[in-house]
Amino acid sequence: MKLLLVEDSERLQRSLSIGLKKHGFALDQAFDGEQALAYTAVNEYDAIILDLILPKIDGLRVLSTLRAEGKDCHVLILSANDQTEDRVRGLDLGADDYLVKPFAFDELVSRLRALNRRRSGVKNPVIEFEGVRIDSVARQIFFDDQLISLTPHEYRLIEFLARRKGRVFSHDQLIDQLYDAGSYVTRNAVEAHVCSLRKRLKSVGAPNLIKTRRGFGYLIE
Amino acid sequence: MYSIRNKLNFTIIASMIVVLSITSGFLYVRVASHVEKIFDDALYDKAQALISLTELDEEGLEFDFAEDGVMLEFQEQAPLQYYQLWQNGVDLLIKSPSLDDNDLPRIGTESGSHQFVDVKLPDGREGRLIDINFLPRVEIEDDEEDEDYGVLMPPSQPVTMVFARERESLDATLFAIGSTIFGVFVIVLLISGLLIWRLVGNGLSPLSYLAKQVSAIDESNLDVRLDHEGDQSLEIAPIENQLNHLLERLQSAFEREKRFSANAAHELRTPLSELKTLAEVAKLVPDDREQVVAFFNDIGEISGQMEKMVATLLELSRSEAGLLRIDPENIQLAHYCEEIWQHTVNGQGANKSLRKHIPENLVIYTDREKLGMILSNLFVNAVSYSPDNAKIDITAEVRNKNVVIEVRNAAIDLKPEDILHMKDRFWRKQTVQDESGHSGLGLTLVEALARVMKLEVSLHLDNQRTFMVTISGLIPSVH
Repeated sequence: MKLLLVEDSERLQRSLSIGLKKHGFALDQAFDGEQALAYTAVNEYDAIILDLILPKIDGLRVLSTLRAEGKDCHVLILSANDQTEDRVRGLDLGADDYLVKPFAFDELVSRLRALNRRRSGVKNPVIEFEGVRIDSVARQIFFDDQLISLTPHEYRLIEFLARRKGRVFSHDQLIDQLYDAGSYVTRNAVEAHVCSLRKRLKSVGAPNLIKTRRGFGYLIE
Repeated sequence: MYSIRNKLNFTIIASMIVVLSITSGFLYVRVASHVEKIFDDALYDKAQALISLTELDEEGLEFDFAEDGVMLEFQEQAPLQYYQLWQNGVDLLIKSPSLDDNDLPRIGTESGSHQFVDVKLPDGREGRLIDINFLPRVEIEDDEEDEDYGVLMPPSQPVTMVFARERESLDATLFAIGSTIFGVFVIVLLISGLLIWRLVGNGLSPLSYLAKQVSAIDESNLDVRLDHEGDQSLEIAPIENQLNHLLERLQSAFEREKRFSANAAHELRTPLSELKTLAEVAKLVPDDREQVVAFFNDIGEISGQMEKMVATLLELSRSEAGLLRIDPENIQLAHYCEEIWQHTVNGQGANKSLRKHIPENLVIYTDREKLGMILSNLFVNAVSYSPDNAKIDITAEVRNKNVVIEVRNAAIDLKPEDILHMKDRFWRKQTVQDESGHSGLGLTLVEALARVMKLEVSLHLDNQRTFMVTISGLIPSVH
């Protein structure tokens, strides 16, 4: 799941980015409204964590601009404004969720996962394909109750494809989804992750879930 | 608590009862005494008529009225009347047949005068008598006078006559007069009471309308203003105006307080959420020593900022509660400014410098600690919001026996309209919380401390984008 964290507090950015990456999210960071719009102009995000009080362009204007531009990514407002009218205004402008500071980090992660499930249309946090069970809460994969050990990137790749069953994603799309905007990643890295995933699945006797469409990309059927 | 309407009604009605009672009583007494006088006059006239029919001749006293068929009211014709006459107040001369064996009482009136007295008549009715003392008229016939000039007349002796008659007609008249007056009294009172109740109600209706409007106002609708129906009364208009002004001030104070609470909550929530996230994320990377140490550094910085903010808020609240006391002393201003600059800036403004234009011998008499807090806040702002390598100027001079201090610095992106809000709590040019530790309370605290020290703080931005803070009202030391 790829996120854009829009927050002017550098300290909060530091800690949140470490925590969210640790939970397997790919993350870009914007420190003001202008940066946020610049990021969304060139990248697609599953969700945007948006502070309201931002330098240059405030959060509500960022949100309304995104919606006016037809961007349908999920937006979770993270703000110290706790008044009902603030929440109503934010949600009415097109936000999908509202979390008041100070918040519990685990709650933020859970809400992001919920948004992700809503986006993929799969409500169950556990996805199963031909005996392969993906637990998106524990971020673990099992085959016949046997745990398959994966790296964070491998897990992100299989969960991303599993949640979008039947859709083909190119190398570049997968790079966008799995890595931060600042990371330098080649197509080979994606191929290496796919290859490694197939090997790990095969090692426990699981079927090969990830199919290749030559010239197009990868999918789970 | 009492009702003005009820009090007015009861007071006016009570006053009316008193006035009407006095008036009615006076009227009754006047009319009754007049009627009694008419009755007594009639009694007196009748007595005089009897006296005129009493003659003294050579044969003695003659009572013409006692002859049969002359005055039937003394015999058997109802209503019966009574008379009785005595000579020298002792010897009974005659009494009316209507008395039978009874006697009328004698009052003992002096000669030539008369008295009226209420009595019980022999027939049992209430009556009134006149007791009159007179000398009977001497009857001398002309022919006798001519022919027997020398005839001797018996000596004329005083006669007491008591004439009595019933007074029931008088009492009935008096009762009718009394009843009429009382009836009028009651009717006037009832009509007046109703009129008073209605008129007082109408008169007080603007006040009732005002009270209704005022009681509908609470903290949720302080934006409501009092109005009136139709023409405004001269008495209510100033109350309504003053209440509306009071409401404006209340609304503004409530909004300020609400804004302050929201701002304080907001300013505290952000560092709190930073602390909370740092603590929770640190648990995810327990083995990353470098990261954990960085988190601890962040926690230390956040705690310092929060401590500073809380201390400032406390200082503000103490100043508003009037708990701050002034402890003045002599301060060598140039030296003290340098000291505060060094202490405050201490590394933050390494590339910025202070230019002092303060006479070395200028000594002021004021509270050292509070002046230090004021200067410290002004220096921190000047350093934070001026461009790199900026010079910050501080000038002090004596004007009209007062010391005026000015702190000037080039302002990066300040606008003239910002000056209006700079003393507001939590106001910052950028609404965001940066990591410089500015909470937007510095100038608010400066203003509050200055108020306690009876100083004036004014802010100014000139065309060259030079921001200037002027503090006036400091007292130069007499030494």
